[in-house]
Amino acid sequence: MNRITGFFTDATLCIGCKACEVACKEWNEVPADGYEFSGNSYDNTGALGHSTWRHVKFVEGETSIGAGGMMPELMSWAFSSDVCKHCENAGCLESCPTGSIIRTEFGGVYIQPDICNGCGYCVVNCPFGVVDRRPTDGRAFKCTFCYDRQKEGDTPACAKACPTGSILFGDLEQLEKVADARIEKLHAAGMTDANIWNPKETSVGGTHAFFLVRGDAAQYNLPAKPEVPLTALKPAWNAAAAAAGVIFGAAVLGFAFAGRSGRKWKIEN
Amino acid sequence: MTTPATYYNQPLLKPPVWTWEVPVYFFVGGAAGAASVLGVAAQFSGADEELVRDARWIALIGAAVSGPLLISDLGRPERFLNMLRVFKPQSPMSVGVWTLAVFGGATAGAVLLPYKPLRSISAVAAGATGLVMATYTGVLLGVTAIPLWKEHAHFLPVHFGASALGSAVSLLELRGHRNGALRSLGFAAATFESAADFALEQKTPMLKIAGALSGPVPFLFRLFGKRKAAAAATLLGSLLTRIAWIEAGKASAADPHVALHGSGA
Amino acid sequence: MPGLGTTLGRGGATTAQQDLANADAILIMGSSMAENHPVGFQWVIEAREKNGAKIIHVDPRFTRTSAMSDYWLPLRAGSDLIFLGAMIRYVLEEERYFREYVVPYTNASVILREDFVDTEDLGGIFSPAETWKYAGDDESGAFDSGHRGEGQGTARTTAYPERDNTLQHPRCVFQVMRRHFARYTPELVEQSCGIPREKFLEIANVFTSASGPEKTGAICYAVGWTQHSTGVQTIRAAAILQLLLGNIGRPGGGIMALRGHASIQGSTDIPTLYDVLPGYLPMPTSNERDLASYIDKHRAQKGWWYNLDKYIVSLLKAYYGDAATRENDFGFEWLPRLTGDHSYFGYWLDMADGKLDGLVVMGQNPAVGSPNAKLERAALGKLKWLVVRDLVETETALFWEDAPDEIDTEVFFFPAASHVEKDGTFTNTQRLLQWREKAVNPPGEARSELQFMVALGRRLKAMATDAPRDAALRALTWEYADEDAEEVLKEIHGWRVSPPVILSEAKGPLPPRVIPRDSAESPADEQSRRASAGDPSPSSRLRMTEEGAPPPPVILSVSEGSQNATAVAAETLHSAQGDGDATAVAAETLRSAQGDGAPLRHFGDLKNDGTTACGCWIYSGVFDGENKANARAPHGRYAHGWGYAWPLDRRILYNRASARPDGQPWSERKALVWWDEAKREWVGHDVADFTRGKAPDYKPTSDHGGDEAIAGDAPFIMHPDGLGWLWVPSGLKDGPLPAHYEPLESNIRNPLYAQQSNPAANRMERPDNPYASSPDARFPYVLTTYRLTEHHTAGGMSRTLSHLAELQPELFAEISPELASEAGVSNGEMVRITTARGSIRARALVTTRMPSLDVDGERIHQVGLPYHWGGRGLVTGDVVNDLLAISEEPNVKIFESKGLTCNLTRDM
Ligand SMILES: Nc1nc2c(c(=O)[nH]1)N[C@H]1C(S)=C(S)[C@@H](COP(=O)(O)OP(=O)(O)OC[C@H]3O[C@@H](n4cnc5c(=O)[nH]c(N)nc54)[C@H](O)[C@@H]3O)O[C@H]1N2
Ligand SMILES: Nc1nc2c(c(=O)[nH]1)N[C@H]1C(S)=C(S)[C@@H](COP(=O)(O)OP(=O)(O)OC[C@H]3O[C@@H](n4cnc5c(=O)[nH]c(N)nc54)[C@H](O)[C@@H]3O)O[C@H]1N2
Ligand code: SF4
Ligand code: SF4
Ligand code: SF4
Ligand code: SF4
Ligand code: SF4
Ligand SMILES: [Mo]
Repeated sequence: MNRITGFFTDATLCIGCKACEVACKEWNEVPADGYEFSGNSYDNTGALGHSTWRHVKFVEGETSIGAGGMMPELMSWAFSSDVCKHCENAGCLESCPTGSIIRTEFGGVYIQPDICNGCGYCVVNCPFGVVDRRPTDGRAFKCTFCYDRQKEGDTPACAKACPTGSILFGDLEQLEKVADARIEKLHAAGMTDANIWNPKETSVGGTHAFFLVRGDAAQYNLPAKPEVPLTALKPAWNAAAAAAGVIFGAAVLGFAFAGRSGRKWKIEN
Repeated sequence: MTTPATYYNQPLLKPPVWTWEVPVYFFVGGAAGAASVLGVAAQFSGADEELVRDARWIALIGAAVSGPLLISDLGRPERFLNMLRVFKPQSPMSVGVWTLAVFGGATAGAVLLPYKPLRSISAVAAGATGLVMATYTGVLLGVTAIPLWKEHAHFLPVHFGASALGSAVSLLELRGHRNGALRSLGFAAATFESAADFALEQKTPMLKIAGALSGPVPFLFRLFGKRKAAAAATLLGSLLTRIAWIEAGKASAADPHVALHGSGA
Repeated sequence: MPGLGTTLGRGGATTAQQDLANADAILIMGSSMAENHPVGFQWVIEAREKNGAKIIHVDPRFTRTSAMSDYWLPLRAGSDLIFLGAMIRYVLEEERYFREYVVPYTNASVILREDFVDTEDLGGIFSPAETWKYAGDDESGAFDSGHRGEGQGTARTTAYPERDNTLQHPRCVFQVMRRHFARYTPELVEQSCGIPREKFLEIANVFTSASGPEKTGAICYAVGWTQHSTGVQTIRAAAILQLLLGNIGRPGGGIMALRGHASIQGSTDIPTLYDVLPGYLPMPTSNERDLASYIDKHRAQKGWWYNLDKYIVSLLKAYYGDAATRENDFGFEWLPRLTGDHSYFGYWLDMADGKLDGLVVMGQNPAVGSPNAKLERAALGKLKWLVVRDLVETETALFWEDAPDEIDTEVFFFPAASHVEKDGTFTNTQRLLQWREKAVNPPGEARSELQFMVALGRRLKAMATDAPRDAALRALTWEYADEDAEEVLKEIHGWRVSPPVILSEAKGPLPPRVIPRDSAESPADEQSRRASAGDPSPSSRLRMTEEGAPPPPVILSVSEGSQNATAVAAETLHSAQGDGDATAVAAETLRSAQGDGAPLRHFGDLKNDGTTACGCWIYSGVFDGENKANARAPHGRYAHGWGYAWPLDRRILYNRASARPDGQPWSERKALVWWDEAKREWVGHDVADFTRGKAPDYKPTSDHGGDEAIAGDAPFIMHPDGLGWLWVPSGLKDGPLPAHYEPLESNIRNPLYAQQSNPAANRMERPDNPYASSPDARFPYVLTTYRLTEHHTAGGMSRTLSHLAELQPELFAEISPELASEAGVSNGEMVRITTARGSIRARALVTTRMPSLDVDGERIHQVGLPYHWGGRGLVTGDVVNDLLAISEEPNVKIFESKGLTCNLTRDM
């Protein structure tokens, strides 16, 4: 029985140094993702994707003379390091027709690069826009949860590189306790806008990578009520079955009654 | 403190990476599937041999084209067979690929097998899987994270099914068949598509055109007995419908509001 | 860093980053620590999380550091001294100072001369340096630290000045300071820094509360302070503040000077500076002819610098080996002499004027990194040849591509091995030497500096002629392996060499003269004894041998406890005379028999008689047999056993001050080192920065010299009086107390003095280095420059790496929404920034993090530019340093990169 691991990423400890983003690319030999200036604060890599598996978001609020970023009342500039959520119910995994995406013994969601054939279905099945197909390669890529390192008993590269402990890696259950304690502490200190994002109550059923952010999680591109696409499976197939029934019925009836009449009426027009 | 409801309006979701082959496959595969169904129905109603044969040929050709279309869209075409290393009922694409595989074999059998009874059995198999071929692509789109598709998960299979039926009928008619069954089925499909088109809210321009070409336009042609025109319109509409839905899906993915807050903004 | 050097004694961070975790308040100013020292910043966060320490960031911009702080105060770039002066005034007037610490440990109580006149009375100018000295100080010619101050305040002054412990005497330092800072009021801060009065008072209260027996506060700074025409005095002000609050030498206190390149501290300790020798020994000037006069000039009678003679002689022995003898002043004459300003900017201007033929650039990219880079690129074009050793082809190596036809400088590029491709040490920002093992072989032709230097040295020595001017080259010891960094570290640490003894060629027994290692006899009396012994002078023979004939005398080394071995070997030698090899062999056996070349324990073993060699005395102790820089077994609160901190692995400097005068800790909570009466020595969490066995109640008498002249309750042992210098009697060029001057370019009138800018600063103004006038309507905005976490300095190491380049692909200017609308630009658009020197393009990054401020009743806008871009690499951009002026702060000759004037317009 392997331990189930997770990430707890705490924005109130993040200095936005992007060491995680770089360490991930170094370790996993992920190529460059373009050299575009965005004008969106200090974030020029934009979003998670086929060639950005860790992504540090920079959310700017208002500044006020005297108030540092840790002032409970005012969130002036917050950083949050995003990553594949490693969903409990993972849309990508369920949808993958080749079985390339698997759940590892550590509870992570892992794409086997030797199996993926680049069908692109996982891309539209991730409720968080994480996984994507790399044009230059044809296969889909995303955070591997450093499966290779975890198998060696090592910490994922991103967490290892984080100088401030903003990215905590460890026992998922442990981390959830840590997170609760952290929230209590911050709330006690008056930072009431601090909140944990982990969609347990939704069909996603919680994530192995969860986050502590300040303010509305939506401004960090973390959806309030994500849904795993699977919820649509039943209605869709029911509809398909109904449609099939009707088509079949109509065809049979149609030919039963009018089918033979074909050759007789040769109405030219 | 100003709280942007989004992250610099960056999309949350990734758009589909599929290229033109996919919508074309949706169209071809659907038409082929429906054709095989018509073939079976005709066969049992004892309709003329030609119609049955043509229906089977259409199904076979459709199936034959579908494979390459699907494969060429893969990022790693040489790995197509990995699709068949597992069967995952919860993955519409897995179900679809397996269905296509069986359908392809069956349609081939229905045309190429030596003895008529064998061909007939094979045709029945083709008809059965054809029903799935005609409808599952709606499921394929519906069961995703793309808001627009997901919202229409219950509708797309029916919509695509009707559109497939319409195109199958149209193809046979363009072959010159003047069968009453085809005529009434053509009417049925056009009627349903018109209703669908009417019912559908927030349509992209392309969806509007596609809707018109699949519903009202052929319906009117048929009223005035313009079968071939109706058929042509239906086919065009049916192809356009698939393209339009995929394009609309991309637009839907690009809008962060729905995905973030579950409501348009 | 003379700011710290003169005030406290050593020009290094007084603390370790780990110790920040023990602070109750941390003021980060002139630094964006979270961005530029992100790994060390973890201890700031720890302080915040574990002891609820208050983190304060004072910076024109709201940076990633501000984001992690409790308080952020924006200020007008270049107004720091007003802010700090007001903090000092606050402490003095609100009586927030730690009296029990200030009175015994600082020179607050010292009485000053009558003829000193303050800036208050001279319109911003101090009376002459002579008048800065203590009352009754007869010492003449206190030497100016200048760059030496980078290290130590070696200034000399009387050790036992007249003091008034009531701090009431009108001429005591304390009262003089009160008058000097009287006009540095919160109102002035509001008027000139742009910080509302009540916000300032709130912060002043928060920080100064971290003081007293139970609490401490720390200050972190970096080049946001140093790169000003008043940089040194700004740092002085911080040191004064910390001394007044009793925050020096105590856990969670101190001043964390955050340094730059991974080993920049190392390259000031063993300097790449033109006017300092290793260990902050002053470089001799042309009028210091012989060793005696050099020592007489620079050696202090009291305090640690009494030992200067031992350090210089041991250094010469390391340089010249056996060729360095008493008789030839240990080769002192071979040292280069200071003949003028050969500082960085000095020689660049010479280069621009065509006075230099060639330049070797190792690990620098001046075409991008240095001020008025345009001028510097032009200067490169005036060279006959240029050698660049770098990891990548930098803008400096490729400067000629700007105008291939006009430029005929011949450029040689040597690929260099990077830090992971060679062994060696880094001396980090807290004086910690850490050994680095080679991880991979350098690619292709790339070579390490060591390999390059060793080979170069060999070639040069081979080219040495008999000409006198080559004497130093001939004498220079250079028996290095091709690439053995440990060998070099051993030389830096130092070893024993034994005094030379001459066995005359004449047969017949001649008793080897033995000098016991501990005899401190001076070169002088040794000479006379020799003479009386009729001992022929070896130096004369040496000179003869240089001319070829007659055969070399056998020079033996003798050390105590090995007389017999000596005698025996001597015998062998006599018999072996004539047989060169046998002689050599025997000599060798003898040397080893005498433990010659055996490592010292530490600089305490160094001698002035030529019996020790040491490459850098402050590092001595790092290789006493084992390579302590490579120690990897940390223990205790300060991770002793991991690496080696100079001096003597002391992690917190002046830590004697962490105990009360009586030797006991100020409080349990803030205990660091204390006097153990039973053991009769200083014990605690750190190695005491104090003579181990010197009791707290030790009182020197006036005939004591050196460290023995330092009392048992005087923590600042580098200073002759053992005190922390609120007032600097000598060692600085611009004044004994900090005074605010406006940047060399400023649209604000100096609110305090008629004197607008630092009178001692060198503007180096010339047609190709012009200045805007102050004020100047053409350049209405304040410009400052800085770094981004994503890049490194001139970009050679970051713009060439995709993983970093993509994170910050383009040069941008941070401006406030107000300035944006005034200039009619919106976020992401191109803007043009212009100064008196040049004009560049950048993207506008419009953000409230770069606020406009109310100064002097006006709204002032500031423009912020990161300076990492140039014409090469994966991402390119204009060179920000084309906008800056070359200038020299008086003490360290640094330029002003933070706080000048510019214009900003929309770029079509
Ligand atoms: N990632 C990264 N780390 C680095 C470097 C790098 O290039 N990249 N460089 C290394 C080197 S060589 C050095 S020297 C250090 C430098 O470390 P820092 O001194 O921290 O570097 P800077 O960003 O140049 O300046 C620090 C801050 O000073 C502020 N500032 C500007 N003008 C003023 C002023 O007048 N007063 C005050 N109080 N603040 C002002 C700037 O806004 C900036 O936030 O960093 C080292 N570490
Ligand atoms: N406007 C403005 N200008 C500034 C500053 C500022 O704040 N504002 N800061 C100033 C400061 S503090 C500094 S330190 C300077 C830095 O300015 P520079 O030192 O000129 O710039 P760097 O890019 O640090 O140059 C270091 C070079 O050494 C190379 N290198 C790295 N390792 C090795 C090695 O082992 N061997 C060799 N041979 N080469 C190696 C790198 O590739 C790089 O090209 O910039 C100064 N300029
Ligand atoms: S976040 Fe997306 S990619 Fe990651 S596990 Fe969940 S569904 Fe898969
Ligand atoms: S792209 Fe690869 S990983 Fe994604 S669903 Fe298709 S096969 Fe699976
Ligand atoms: S876990 Fe590994 S793969 Fe995932 S983000 Fe961190 S470093 Fe990258
Ligand atoms: S490494 Fe840690 S601190 Fe740096 S950006 Fe990533 S999460 Fe934030
Ligand atoms: S680059 Fe090196 S020295 Fe600079 S912060 Fe990171 S670890 Fe420390
Ligand atoms: Mo630096």
